[in-house]
Amino acid sequence: MVLKKINKLEPSSFRDPSGHIFYQDDYILRQVNDIYKKDLDLLVNSGLMAKLIDKGLLVSHIEDNKIKKEKGVIVIFKADKIPFISYPYEWSFSQLKDAALVTLEIQKLAIENGMSLKDASSYNIQFINGKPIFIDLLSFEEYQEGKPWVAYEQFCQHFIGPLLLMSKVDADLNKLLRIYINGVPLRLVSKLLPKKTYLSFSISSHIHLHARNQSSYADSEKVSQNQNVKLSKFALLGIIDSLESLIKGLKYGDSDTEWGEYYTFTNYTDQAFQEKKQLVEEYLNIVKPKSVWDIGANNGEFSRLASQKGILTVASDIDPVAVEKNYIAIKNSNEENLLPLVMDLTNPSPAIGWNNQERKSLIERGPSDVVFALALIHHLAISNNLPFSHIAGFCKDIGKNLIIEFVPKDDSKVQKLLATREDIFTKYTQEDFEKEFSKLFKIVKKTTIPQSKRTLYLMKSL
Amino acid sequence: MIHIIFFLFVFLIVAPIKAQAYLDPGTGSYITQMLIGFIAGSAYLIKIYWGQLKEFIAKLKDKKKKDGAKKNK
Repeated sequence: MVLKKINKLEPSSFRDPSGHIFYQDDYILRQVNDIYKKDLDLLVNSGLMAKLIDKGLLVSHIEDNKIKKEKGVIVIFKADKIPFISYPYEWSFSQLKDAALVTLEIQKLAIENGMSLKDASSYNIQFINGKPIFIDLLSFEEYQEGKPWVAYEQFCQHFIGPLLLMSKVDADLNKLLRIYINGVPLRLVSKLLPKKTYLSFSISSHIHLHARNQSSYADSEKVSQNQNVKLSKFALLGIIDSLESLIKGLKYGDSDTEWGEYYTFTNYTDQAFQEKKQLVEEYLNIVKPKSVWDIGANNGEFSRLASQKGILTVASDIDPVAVEKNYIAIKNSNEENLLPLVMDLTNPSPAIGWNNQERKSLIERGPSDVVFALALIHHLAISNNLPFSHIAGFCKDIGKNLIIEFVPKDDSKVQKLLATREDIFTKYTQEDFEKEFSKLFKIVKKTTIPQSKRTLYLMKSL
Repeated sequence: MIHIIFFLFVFLIVAPIKAQAYLDPGTGSYITQMLIGFIAGSAYLIKIYWGQLKEFIAKLKDKKKKDGAKKNK
């Protein structure tokens, strides 16, 4: 059958001549070119592909015979859909850590089956139902005894470096991946890490020594001199084991003092808090969305009202600690449909990479069916001086419906924000809020949250 | 102890750094794997054998316990 529908190429799928990703209707399709035939045969015949899919480590791929293949194309696979594409610079520490461990688990299984990962990019991992999963079928090649791991450098730049920086310097430093799309340069990681890390065998090896060797062996004459050196399989497995032990031993931050009572207080009485939850549920039942973006989700308390109904929910927050806490909770109770991400709404993820198209901006990944903006408006309007019209415009860009909470100026949380600054926000009133939002949204419901001064709105994009 | 030895080992290897305009960092990564491969591989080997040895001793102890229990009966 020849399909006349237009195939849309994935802009980031250009690096590997073995094939590429394209979209048709709602499907993700992977074209495999004849250059990859030998490796694909090995991947299938060794049983590695089935094993990886079976273990939930690789996104399921089913051969599609209905689409006409061009010359030079050996097979087209239909891949499982990824509900929401996220990037390593949006992940919390444990998300990046788990993504790294999954990559190594796959590499170990690959070696057992006579293959090796030629690509260990963090962009090859996505989160589905709270778990990291490998998405790139074409990253496997035949393992040749004696050959070092070709993706070792990439693995260190995409995972080891950022994880060490997050663990030993600052939890926000995976944002460096937003600048360095091919992974954080090891010379930079080496410079930023505390000197005491030289005392660790694995950190010294994978980062400090590695960074120095990158510079000192950049000479092409030395390349030919070292071509005959072999790395035994045991040494390779030893290196992978060393990487794995290093990652497993890394902890979030230097201390865990803040964890106990983090964000346990709110500005509500218990009853008002429950009433707010009920209202959000009521609004959700009116819209019946398939996707929710909870912006400013904190540790995901309200996000769960949606995700537990089977709605795909992205719970983003600026605070990496809150996102980390959310992810750990999801992991511990095997929660589904919830994806926590670190996101600064005043500077959301931009489109990056070649032609500004390799990694999508936050807005390009929307719109969602519903946006939650709960206890958020005052942070944007007062802490960041954003006029209501701008906030409304952003909400319209990312969502078809909006559940938004208005927090009045006399609320203690707003007063706290104004405590150390001049009140220049004469237009921060409920009237102005409604006036500006009504230009872009229809107010469907408006309810005062009992025992509070706050109001919860359900709005529909015009 | 192993940390201190390695600390010295790193310093012997890493200096001096040369900056090249035509960087080929891939080679440096290969060399790094060659340099650390022996130590990492040996450690891995010891880890595996140590695990097997512990398992063997545990089984042996278990067997002795069972034998002892049978005799007591």
